[in-house]
Amino acid sequence: MLVDISDLSYRYPGASDWTLRGINLSAREGEFILLAGPSGCGKSTLARVLNGLIPNFYGGEIHGSINVCGLDPREHPTYEFAECVGFVFQNPENQLFFNTVERELAFGLENLGLPRDEIVRRVEKSLREYQLLELRDRSPFELSGGQQQRVAIASVMVMNPRILVLDEPTANLDPLTALHVLALVRRKVSEEGVLAIVIEHRLEVALPFATRVIVMQDGKIVEDGSPYSTLKRYGHIVGFTPALKLLELLEEGGVEISPNGVSPEKIALAIVELFRGRGYGGGRGSSH
Amino acid sequence: MVEIEALRALKFKKENTPIDKTDPRSRALISLTLAFLSLYSQSLLKQSLLLATAACIAIVARRGARFVSILRATAPLALLIFVLNYITAPQPGWVGPALMALRFLTLSTSLSLFFMTTSPDEVSLMLESAHLPREYAMLITMSFRFVPTLALDVESVMHALQSRGFELEKGSLTQRVRNYVYLMVPLIIFEVRRSLMAAEALEARGFGSSRKPTSYIRLRFTALDGVAIALVTIYLLSFILLVPD
Amino acid sequence: MEGDGEVAIKVEDVYYTYPGGVEALRGVSLEVRKGEILAIMGENGAGKTTLIKHFNGILKPTRGRVLVEGMDTRTTSVAQISRVVGLVFQNPDHQLFTESVYDEVAFALRNFKFPEEVVEQRVKWALNLLNLWEYRDRSPFSLSVGERKRLTIASVLAYDPEIIVLDEPTAGQDYLQKEKISELLHQLRLMGKTIVMVTHDVEFVTEHVDRVVLMARGRVIAEGPPKAILGKQTVLREARLLPPQMVRIYAVLKKHGIMDGSEVLWRPDELSLQLLSKLKQGG
Repeated sequence: MLVDISDLSYRYPGASDWTLRGINLSAREGEFILLAGPSGCGKSTLARVLNGLIPNFYGGEIHGSINVCGLDPREHPTYEFAECVGFVFQNPENQLFFNTVERELAFGLENLGLPRDEIVRRVEKSLREYQLLELRDRSPFELSGGQQQRVAIASVMVMNPRILVLDEPTANLDPLTALHVLALVRRKVSEEGVLAIVIEHRLEVALPFATRVIVMQDGKIVEDGSPYSTLKRYGHIVGFTPALKLLELLEEGGVEISPNGVSPEKIALAIVELFRGRGYGGGRGSSH
Repeated sequence: MVEIEALRALKFKKENTPIDKTDPRSRALISLTLAFLSLYSQSLLKQSLLLATAACIAIVARRGARFVSILRATAPLALLIFVLNYITAPQPGWVGPALMALRFLTLSTSLSLFFMTTSPDEVSLMLESAHLPREYAMLITMSFRFVPTLALDVESVMHALQSRGFELEKGSLTQRVRNYVYLMVPLIIFEVRRSLMAAEALEARGFGSSRKPTSYIRLRFTALDGVAIALVTIYLLSFILLVPD
Repeated sequence: MEGDGEVAIKVEDVYYTYPGGVEALRGVSLEVRKGEILAIMGENGAGKTTLIKHFNGILKPTRGRVLVEGMDTRTTSVAQISRVVGLVFQNPDHQLFTESVYDEVAFALRNFKFPEEVVEQRVKWALNLLNLWEYRDRSPFSLSVGERKRLTIASVLAYDPEIIVLDEPTAGQDYLQKEKISELLHQLRLMGKTIVMVTHDVEFVTEHVDRVVLMARGRVIAEGPPKAILGKQTVLREARLLPPQMVRIYAVLKKHGIMDGSEVLWRPDELSLQLLSKLKQGG
């Protein structure tokens, strides 16, 4: 269990309301969790507990049992979390600091005090892995938004975290670029068993990659489960993609479909399977 | 706006010239030598010579256009210095005030040579190699790094206000000063928020750790630096010994 | 209710190069018709925001011209054009600066020298429309992100411009906030306003917009009703947009011979009815 939190409550300094109330959350490697909920529900706050920014950077009053990578943020400063939890923020401008992509990637490792040859090795590897080799000497600010987010993710992943938290990473990106960025994260989850926790409002973009959806409302977790079932119950609050709406309507009409994903293509394919099974459809392959 | 132009001129951009390839400490030496000579020189001839040298270096570094825009940005201030000195001078004559104005121009341009050719990262590395703790070196890097961003933010705020019928350049001087205050409020709040976000991001990447940070990029002197230092030394000596007053 | 044929904004072969040398617009021509809702879409950096800044004269074309209700933006002041074109920027924090929500909305009205009784009337109307009247004495900075966004819209609506331009109105908004914006758009349309919106949100556009303009690399690459444009995979990819989900589902169903019509059914309920009736007839 990489994340083991029970009965977490938190309020910001000077606030009268509790931003987090009695949160229970367990998560393990290889999960891609989509954290959804209306603005102000506490998603970003919860995300910041996971890497120790709360309470180290923000202060405030915090209760409950918290174990992230074996660390409790009340007893360990943020920099000790940095080795295990990588955090990517919404706006690339505010998380890129140096004049070359290369130096940007090295920064986190410098802070960890790793020996120089190790840093060189990991930076080279990351440059290759994230297709940044030709961009290594470029200033991050000259790059496009999508490239910048790639650099931001790379400079966090180079530290080999086991948990990756992303707070609305695609807010400033166009849909196709957003897809590429999230696909990159999904690869990390599938291939290296990273635990990814992604906060996103744009369900159409993020949902297809999620293995699990957590919905928050008013500081509490109100639903936690598979993408389809979670959204069926809370679609009226977090939105429902048209594809899922179609699925729901078909179910209401008495037709059960079990797609193996929630992307429009997977749902459409499941419909095709159903029709074929009932003796329909020309095109490739015949029915029974 | 001339100020925004000056900000743009200070923005670092890497080029492929011999000057750029030297160690930043050599470049600091060049700028500081010119500045020192400017402070030391008491004749118009010497100041002009130094200004011309700075211009030549700028051209070798392929930054002639930037050099000119710095001159344009500082010219009004130089003029002001000339006028004030002329009015308040104990003895009559224009040579003294002209010297002051010219010295100002030479100082600004020779120091800006360093900043035009040195990235904020290099500045910070230089300071760290002089044993300044990383937190302070980063302060400098961060300030520079956010200057172009700040320029863009000023523009955005201006545009937002103009779109609501607000005319910045209208009215008496006092009115115009007040207009700029309207600009400042959202700008300052915005920048404070931005710095908090940057601070958060820094901390999330392990900054502020109790461990001693490693350095990925190392500054190294090469033969080119040897040449540069030799040239600076020759220049310095020739200037002091050979140039008449 | 489509545009009634009169042209509100005319963009004639506009080129724009930023002072730093970047050529953001390379020969853009388009018309915004009165009463219509127009969406401008495309990748980041395609020139969308640059283009809308030409609509109220903040930016003037380096070549070509822009006519707003007949006024040439090169020879008319921004303040004058702003009377007719209200521009709502993407980031509310770039513009909020007064001490109270009331003053924030009154700002534009006062700049345009409306008498104070009229100011009071319009502020009240705008704040009520956006459900912000109860916050009128609070500081703008004490509002939540969604409320601040609504405040910027209110402060532009208050002085009743004919044309309203919104830069990414749904970006960063949660589902309920987006619904509120949809309702607002309906109301504005009923009031006869012309609306231009820059957006990435294809689903939103399918539901609410009369015409779409696609941009890429400083040029217009396609233009027409959403149903004509958003079904074309190639131009969409060029503009770095994903097709609406229903289009994607339809493509798969058509490929496997389940649906054969050339018409895409754009709504889930329509498609589900079709599918259910097919199943009843068939198997």
